[in-house]
Amino acid sequence: MRLTAGPVFDACEHLISARWLAGGKFLVAVPTAGAPVVWDGASHSRELGHHGLGNGCLAVHPSADVFVTGGADGKIRMYSGPETPAVEVAVGRGWIDRARWSPDGSKLAVGLGKHLVVLNRTGEVLWKSPAHKSTVCDLAWNPVQSDQLAVACDGGAHLWTIGGEEPFARFDWGGASLIITWSPDGRWVITGDQTPSVHLYDVPRDFPLHIQGYESKVKAIAISSNSRRLATGGSPLVTVWNCTGKTGPENTTPRQLEGHDDFCLALEYRSGSDLLVSGGADGRLLVFEAEQSVRPRAAYLLDGEVVTVAWHPKEPRVIAGTSSGKMQIFDVVM
Amino acid sequence: MTSPTRTPVTILTGYLGAGKTTLLNHILTGQHGRRIAVIENEFGEVGIDHDLVVNADEEIFEMNNGCICCTVRGDLIRILGGLMKRRDKFDHVLVETTGLADPGPVVQTFFMDDDMKEQFFVNGVVTLVDAKHILQHIDDSHEAREQIAFADVTLLNKADLVGPADLTALEKRIRSANALTKIYRTVNAQIDLGHVLDIGGFNLDHAMEVDPHFLDDAEHDHDHDGHDEEHHHHDHEHDTEITSVGIIVDGDCNGPKLNAWLSELVRVDGADIFRMKGVFAVAGNPDRVIFQGVHMLIDAANGGPWGERPRQNRLVFIGRNLDREALNAGFRACIV
Repeated sequence: MRLTAGPVFDACEHLISARWLAGGKFLVAVPTAGAPVVWDGASHSRELGHHGLGNGCLAVHPSADVFVTGGADGKIRMYSGPETPAVEVAVGRGWIDRARWSPDGSKLAVGLGKHLVVLNRTGEVLWKSPAHKSTVCDLAWNPVQSDQLAVACDGGAHLWTIGGEEPFARFDWGGASLIITWSPDGRWVITGDQTPSVHLYDVPRDFPLHIQGYESKVKAIAISSNSRRLATGGSPLVTVWNCTGKTGPENTTPRQLEGHDDFCLALEYRSGSDLLVSGGADGRLLVFEAEQSVRPRAAYLLDGEVVTVAWHPKEPRVIAGTSSGKMQIFDVVM
Repeated sequence: MTSPTRTPVTILTGYLGAGKTTLLNHILTGQHGRRIAVIENEFGEVGIDHDLVVNADEEIFEMNNGCICCTVRGDLIRILGGLMKRRDKFDHVLVETTGLADPGPVVQTFFMDDDMKEQFFVNGVVTLVDAKHILQHIDDSHEAREQIAFADVTLLNKADLVGPADLTALEKRIRSANALTKIYRTVNAQIDLGHVLDIGGFNLDHAMEVDPHFLDDAEHDHDHDGHDEEHHHHDHEHDTEITSVGIIVDGDCNGPKLNAWLSELVRVDGADIFRMKGVFAVAGNPDRVIFQGVHMLIDAANGGPWGERPRQNRLVFIGRNLDREALNAGFRACIV
């Protein structure tokens, strides 16, 4: 296996996120400042409106045509396609750095300060949660139930049903979680934490797990599309946990994938496989067959920290975005 | 040590109505030639509409079971982390807190979080005090007292609404709680911005140069007023809860004993110690050792050769319920 470097686009600023659009025909990237950009992977690009003092987030709709950006101006901009104008929605006063589309693509959830705000596809507010005690740090939809959300806040995770007056479940561990995801089978809610740790919440069993031993706060987590494997950053090693069985990772030994010389910053599993792409502060883009070997099958050194990675929806191809503002396409040649 | 590549952060505190927003506007419109990003609290008294202002929650990250010394501000980590990834970085960051906020977690954020520590250094804490109304709530508000205790610079604002005698009494009271703070009388928060933006309050190199007499004041029970050079007898009838303790001792410390004493002190009393600063003469070390701390966090650095100066240890603690005798005895036990 090898990585073949393809076209590169320079957004000129540290990238927050880069994702594929329109079935992989376009790419969209959001830098920390300046204009987000849509790129066709060749010579055509289009600059989008920025969010004042800083951009905060990018969310791509499951249909992969519709996407939104958010940022410091408290607004989101909804685009119905790579070439369409934006519909601007002022959500409120505050920095928007988290937005996620629901699995069925009908709703958009946004973290605005201490509130969770849910909008429809035209930007109308469907529901605004009561204020949490602390900021909504991150949010994730339940992949098997499109009206449920997990929120990282208040020293743990809260699980909401849209329209509820209070969370239907609370997972309070007294720490501070930075990122949250919900496994595709709906079983696990997983957080990466400010204290070097990962929490897993087995939703059906109402049972929490706490995994420690990381070197730094955990900024990257990825779960395989079959929900069987959880890959985590938090060190130069990519730590992969087995989430199968009655108790999941409890009392199991993880696989630790090697190849980075500095912290792992970005992770994504390829849908339907054990191929795992990893980006690091060392500038390395690595591809693992995570079930086969702890060594990367393919590697490439970029000119900045690799802060965002994404698999093409169909092809064995990845996009890597860097702290120097470059997004580059790589073919994974088997 | 302060890295020249790190961005200075000034923390602006003050009780409700003290004039924080007025000062922010003064800073944002001032001719200082700096690009200053302002992190304004979500519930600001008056929202400031300006391109460089970001609204944030006062989001406390609690760690280690809510220990006050381990709390940091999650909103700052997220927002400042994003801002400093820009190519056109800011020259300075100003963080406004709500009138009821404890400055501790804000300061600790820049000492405890690896990302923040790498990119920022705390320039100092500026506390605005409403000269006209502070006496109405200082006794009932521990927030107001703690904001004064943390201050490197205190702006006694609305000074035109209070008579000279009352201002002097107020300054005495502030200094009885915080012997280190520089006090400026202001009207409409008008102040030479250098006094706010170039404090160096957390710069170890600067720790002993800010006011070479402050320890004299603290130790010898009188006040040194920065405005009129008057001296006053220290007034012990106020603020017995929050006080400053200054210690000056000639001679050399035993390094290991000093380490052990300081470690134990902050472990046991760290929650009550808001700020500490000092310089030590350590046996066998030809250079000064400069230190400062916030709650349980201590930072120390080489302060350069003593030269012709006498090897004299000088330290100040500001905190709640400080035991002056115990602190003196504890430190003196470290002297060789």
